[in-house]
Amino acid sequence: MSLLDVERLTVDLATPQGTLHAVRGVSFAVDRGETLCLVGESGCGKSMTSLALMDLLPKAASRRAVRLSFGGVELGDLSPARMNDLRGNRIAMIFQEPMTALNPAYTIGDQMTEGFRRHKRVGRAQAEARAVDLLGRVGIASARERLGQYPHQLSGGLRQRVMIATALMCGPDLLIADEPTTALDVTIQAQILRLLGELAEEFGLALVLITHDLGVVARIATRVAVMYAGEIVETGAAADLFAAPRHPYTQGLLDCIPVPGRTPRGSRLGAIPGVVPSLVGALKGCAFRSRCRFARPDCETDIPWRVDARGHGARCVLA
Amino acid sequence: MTILIETRDVSRAFAVGRGLFAKKRMLHAVNGVSLAVREGEVLAIVGESGCGKSTLAKMLLGLLAPSAGAVLIGGTDARSLARVEIARRVQPVFQDPYSSLNPRRRIADIVALPLEVHRVGASGERRRRAVEMLERVGLPARLAPAYPGQLSGGQRQRVAIARALVMQPEIVICDEPTSALDVSVQSQILNLLMDLQRELGTTLVFISHNLAVVEHIATRVAVMYLGRVVEEAEAGALFGAPQHPYTQALLASALTPEPGLGVPDLGLGPAFPDPLSPPAGCAFHPRCNRRFAPCDAVEPVLQPRAGGRVACHLAGV
Ligand SMILES: Nc1ncnc2c1ncn2[C@@H]1O[C@H](COP(=O)(O)OP(=O)(O)OP(=O)(O)O)[C@@H](O)[C@H]1O
Ligand SMILES: Nc1ncnc2c1ncn2[C@@H]1O[C@H](COP(=O)(O)OP(=O)(O)OP(=O)(O)O)[C@@H](O)[C@H]1O
Ligand code: SF4
Ligand SMILES: [Mg+2]
Ligand SMILES: [Mg+2]
Repeated sequence: MSLLDVERLTVDLATPQGTLHAVRGVSFAVDRGETLCLVGESGCGKSMTSLALMDLLPKAASRRAVRLSFGGVELGDLSPARMNDLRGNRIAMIFQEPMTALNPAYTIGDQMTEGFRRHKRVGRAQAEARAVDLLGRVGIASARERLGQYPHQLSGGLRQRVMIATALMCGPDLLIADEPTTALDVTIQAQILRLLGELAEEFGLALVLITHDLGVVARIATRVAVMYAGEIVETGAAADLFAAPRHPYTQGLLDCIPVPGRTPRGSRLGAIPGVVPSLVGALKGCAFRSRCRFARPDCETDIPWRVDARGHGARCVLA
Repeated sequence: MTILIETRDVSRAFAVGRGLFAKKRMLHAVNGVSLAVREGEVLAIVGESGCGKSTLAKMLLGLLAPSAGAVLIGGTDARSLARVEIARRVQPVFQDPYSSLNPRRRIADIVALPLEVHRVGASGERRRRAVEMLERVGLPARLAPAYPGQLSGGQRQRVAIARALVMQPEIVICDEPTSALDVSVQSQILNLLMDLQRELGTTLVFISHNLAVVEHIATRVAVMYLGRVVEEAEAGALFGAPQHPYTQALLASALTPEPGLGVPDLGLGPAFPDPLSPPAGCAFHPRCNRRFAPCDAVEPVLQPRAGGRVACHLAGV
């Protein structure tokens, strides 16, 4: 069994307009040393999926799943106390918005070492030494001085790197990273992606990475899951998915970005006209059909998931 | 080709300090930049976060005064031009389509506002031109009475572009116009900008850190590092044969969507650039993997090389 095994995960949100189905039956698995990338349009449910795994959903949200197992343990059955033991320790998360995750009233040093000291039962000096080491590895100079600073004294890029270092403190088995490098320069981004890759190789870190950046996905993903309107519409090994996308939404996404050397300079880029359907209320058939140039009558019916021998799956009448 | 706008040795420093009473230190956001924007071109400005791109853009727009040097618009020092005169010729499109539009005004009024400010035509005429411009950027006339909150991110950025274009400015300065948007919306906006540049002959200054996008639409590129231009060249030349080690690192760290290539090891030093204490000599030398004797002491000047300009001691040897 995989380290993380998710089967038919659903997240519903109560809103004044009715129930919003933010995540609609998502299934995936991640093994040690693997990187799963979640991609898809803004609002398609990527953050809700990751918050559901961490049991950190907003109050208005409810989570259901056939299976939500981590290291053979069913997360849905855990008491809040047992979940607290795992969270930040064996499962760590880097949040999309660093400012909401960092407490403005505490120093960087306090926030970085708090979980480590609690989970690993070690003293302050040992925890601070680890924090300094990790800050250095994410490219933060004069790390010792940084420990005494408060979040508002750091730039967005520094904050994001503090979040990454904090998530790595306990040496987690699984790291869920929601857009972890958006505030970073491309040269620093490359450095951090290499660090995560090394951790996967050396310690078998499993990584779930949420990103809009298809370049990052292509370079580091073991598997890719493409989400649209709360569903996974396609999944496969990165090489297969980029070489031969099977879902029209994935094809559309790949056509939108210029690829140096392949897309003639100055040529028109592909586009996906139209907008995402509302997630409030029931959705039947393919949620992409109003924007799909291949749509036909049977796209309105329930479409089975089709997977090939290489594990490259898609939900589309054409697949 | 005619030079529309030009900076001559322009600098901008900010006084920054920690506490209320702490001594202020000077942060040199832009440091002696000379750049010329020629009619009809797409000049891209690239560089890492905090290297001074937005500060330079604000000076080009006349929104921020240089602390030294001059901005020339059509050969005239911007200091002797009225704000409205600059705004008629140079218009901005900013990164965030959510905060740059007044949420309480209707779309048509937002686009017509520059016409009102410049007292162009009567109110009916202004409205007609606004709706025409909305259609030009791909927004149907039925959206004219809508409020920004009712539009998607891509539609809002189109409104911002329509507002920038309604006065038919000579130059539009786009500061990260697509970085807050989904890739599917980004491609629409890039297609639109390329169309406008071709059909209306609008000159574009395009600030971005997305190198694939820059390579796609720019005709010329200036690379900034810690407030300075370190390399400038025609886009084809710059992407084909980057000269400055920083440009080379930047291009190498751009991750193209090609599986199997991994993340390159750039061999850069970890010293993150800090504009509050810029290093002596070449500002890039603490990270540069090709530095040699003069680099930590002597500041390289921007000089002609391979059809462009490069500021690196290697260019002289
Ligand atoms: N607190 C909330 N209350 C109601 N709806 C919410 C709430 N948070 C998110 N949503 C809705 O849930 C859906 C999924 O949101 P989610 O944050 O998971 O998207 P995402 O894929 O992470 O998008 P992005 O790329 O913009 O971060 C969206 O339609 C969003 O509008
Ligand atoms: N009003 C200000 N007061 C103090 N410092 C400022 C001010 N505006 C900009 N700076 C500083 O000047 C430097 C250059 O900032 P600028 O916004 O021009 O960078 P940028 O290249 O646009 O970065 P980004 O890619 O992150 O947008 C930064 O170090 C920034 O913190
Ligand atoms: S199922 Fe139909 S509408 Fe959906 S992507 Fe496939 S062809 Fe298009
Ligand atoms: Mg999100
Ligand atoms: Mg900027």
